[in-house]
Amino acid sequence: MSGDMVITMGEGTCGIAAGAPEVTKLLKERFPEATFKAVGCIGMCHLEVMVEIATGGKSWLWGNVNKKNLPKIVRFHRGQGDLPEAMLIRSSDTRETERSQYLTRQTRIALRNVGELNPTSMEQFRARDGYSAIEKVIKGGMTPEQVIDEVRIAAIRGRGGAGFPTAVKWGFARGAQGEPKYLVCNGDEGDPGAFMDRSLLEGDPHSVIEGMLIAAYAIGASKGYAYIRAEYPLALKHFAIAMDDARKAGFLGHNILGSNFSFDIKIKEGAGAFVCGEETALLASIEGQRGMPRIRPPFPAIQGVFSKPTIINNVETLANIPWILKNGGAAYARIGTEKSRGTKVFALAGAIKRGGLVEVPMGMTIRQVLEEIGGGSASGRPLKAVQLGGPSGGCIPESLFDTIIDYDAINATGAIMGSGGMVVMDSKSCMVDLARFFLEFTQIESCGKCTFCRIGTLRMKELLTKICDGSGTLEDIATLEELAERVKDASLCGLGQTAPNPVLTTLKYFREEYLAHVTDKRCPGGVCKGLITHTILQDKCTGCSICDRYCPVNAITGELKKPNTWVIDQKICINCGMCVEVCNPDAILAA
Amino acid sequence: MSKASLEATVDPEKVQGWITKIGSDTSAAVPLLQAIQSEYGYLPRKAMNLVLEGTEINASQLFGVATFYAQFRLDPVGRHMIKVCHGTACHVQGADRLNTSLRHALGIENPKEDTASNGSYTIENVACIGCCSLAPVMLIDGEAFPNLKGADAQRHLVKHAKSKGEILPGQTGEGDDQSADEKEK
Ligand SMILES: Cc1cc2nc3c(=O)[nH]c(=O)nc-3n(C[C@H](O)[C@H](O)[C@H](O)COP(=O)(O)O)c2cc1C
Ligand code: SF4
Ligand code: SF4
Ligand code: SF4
Ligand code: FES
Ligand code: FES
Repeated sequence: MSGDMVITMGEGTCGIAAGAPEVTKLLKERFPEATFKAVGCIGMCHLEVMVEIATGGKSWLWGNVNKKNLPKIVRFHRGQGDLPEAMLIRSSDTRETERSQYLTRQTRIALRNVGELNPTSMEQFRARDGYSAIEKVIKGGMTPEQVIDEVRIAAIRGRGGAGFPTAVKWGFARGAQGEPKYLVCNGDEGDPGAFMDRSLLEGDPHSVIEGMLIAAYAIGASKGYAYIRAEYPLALKHFAIAMDDARKAGFLGHNILGSNFSFDIKIKEGAGAFVCGEETALLASIEGQRGMPRIRPPFPAIQGVFSKPTIINNVETLANIPWILKNGGAAYARIGTEKSRGTKVFALAGAIKRGGLVEVPMGMTIRQVLEEIGGGSASGRPLKAVQLGGPSGGCIPESLFDTIIDYDAINATGAIMGSGGMVVMDSKSCMVDLARFFLEFTQIESCGKCTFCRIGTLRMKELLTKICDGSGTLEDIATLEELAERVKDASLCGLGQTAPNPVLTTLKYFREEYLAHVTDKRCPGGVCKGLITHTILQDKCTGCSICDRYCPVNAITGELKKPNTWVIDQKICINCGMCVEVCNPDAILAA
Repeated sequence: MSKASLEATVDPEKVQGWITKIGSDTSAAVPLLQAIQSEYGYLPRKAMNLVLEGTEINASQLFGVATFYAQFRLDPVGRHMIKVCHGTACHVQGADRLNTSLRHALGIENPKEDTASNGSYTIENVACIGCCSLAPVMLIDGEAFPNLKGADAQRHLVKHAKSKGEILPGQTGEGDDQSADEKEK
């Protein structure tokens, strides 16, 4: 009966990390006649390993499959067992489930193919109309100006963070003097908590290549670079395969589709520097130098890689382009709000029940994203904020969750749209610690060129560390605010200019948490190690000794199997929290 | 095996091969260092010197680049590499505890050290590896382990060490696997 069976496996980075290869192996043993398909990230990363089984005209999508529960679906598909409800995400028979709502509430344009096709199959890409937009452009005889006009009508703004209108930028480079011109795809994705571009590059590389082709055609570029960070091995691999296949099919190289347009791409592997996402730093890095930003003007559109006119576009921006050319700019512009058209992809993570990749129309509220798609809090504790835009962004408190997703509406809160990282915090997280985390990040990543960015962020980090340790003063908060303004004003590039945002927004919305650390010497989220103590609740302790074995500093002593003998030596304890994690009866209190 | 013997033996022909393949102009600096690092796990001094001799890249550029990018390291590494993600999602979900418990198992006490005294494992912190919905995450020799608590990280390490015949110089919570598993449920 498994002759017509098609088994589709999610084999994106999360799928593999969650154990997809093992599940695939076991399924192949159980259903040797079935056809297996591997697809990219569907975006429901919290439900990985995901398996879709289609047979007899019906299909079932199973989530959280592992070695232990696999036999349940095997029995079901052999007609020997009941339907394992708990593992079902959706089937062709059921109406929408709470879980499938995760997908149905989205509008997938940039992600239109991700999770739907085998990322390295040219055939499947073509079957989903892939490369039809570039064919329309070239064979339909569109001029570069007409292409730019279509993108202008779509009114798409760059998705890499700054939100600059794509058509305007292309217009600059179109008019610039100098040969050859370059088109660079920015896949550095430095925001440490975001993976939109990773999913696109590894799950649908051909769409990014097609977007690059159209952009190159529009600005008159003959050379391209795909700058992809080294931390994404699967993205690098899939992109390289896709490039080879595109070249074989005549979409890259000389005289594309018989026209006089020639374009080819080289991959540049990023080497782990956040600042290289900034466009002028990225150019220096491509040239083999330290990735240090430079003053603009000259803008890269006039003087970029090797001093030639260069356009740098983000991966997600580029992935939208073929859709826009195929369906028309007007169709794209109908989605979204007045000043922010189209959709935006977010990477939802943190204290949320259903984390993963989501693409929503602009204009949806943050609350809708968190509740209707994300399913609300993972722990059941109330949510208190989301952090948007990573180290350059800020937090939005629960009281402002009705803010809509729109460049201007989000800017008004003090946060930024950013590239799409959305990290959710619940009541057990500490906003001061979060600000410290980001400042530590930007301080390390600062290229060192500007004094305020180099040293100002270091002083800010020191002040925040002091506050987290419990030795901060009210004066420190004032100094922090003053430094924040100076670092903003006296920095050359976006890294320094935005580095204070996480501090400023947490101070704006969660000042009381700062005050609790400073005046009450208390961390309300129970996170800051200097402000909590670990103690054993004698009435709960069974004397099992596990905590002792995991404590890295041997702070715990007691007699095996004897309750009421176990104590933590506060002088030795470093408040790492290991003991809380391993104690079965929850006998250790961190407060 | 002690740490001193972790120094790699550099084959000059290999380095020359990369130069021939990748190029010898200044824009080849990053990819050349990447090739060296992926072979040896770090940048041996001898290989750097060979690049200086065989290309247009000068010492200031080469060492400038090698010290600028987080990917590159100048110190030898252990036989196996553990990368602990410290991106935002992993940080807010307790990535610190993975380091605490791994270092405890590896007996690395000095905060400045990152390699076990017997040269078995090196721990590195990395920025987001792109599966934030499964945070916290670590990689051992490239294999990812999702949704970890500190104790889980240690258990995976113990298993890995057993399968590779490595000895863990530190202390582990071994022996209580079962009860810790139960807590998970
Ligand atoms: C510190 C810093 C880091 C950045 N990182 C990225 C990045 O990882 N990816 C990206 O596309 N843009 C990044 N940007 C924005 C780019 O400079 C640039 O605006 C963008 O790639 C342009 O593409 P777009 O117009 O399609 O958005 C960063 C900017 C700064 C200042
Ligand atoms: S603001 Fe910071 S990262 Fe940007 S150029 Fe100045 S020092 Fe470098
Ligand atoms: S918090 Fe850490 S250091 Fe303190 S007793 Fe528990 S395990 Fe030991
Ligand atoms: S792990 Fe918990 S129950 Fe066991 S000895 Fe420690 S405190 Fe007591
Ligand atoms: S990688 Fe599979 S859903 Fe994200
Ligand atoms: S923050 Fe750890 S995987 Fe993204």
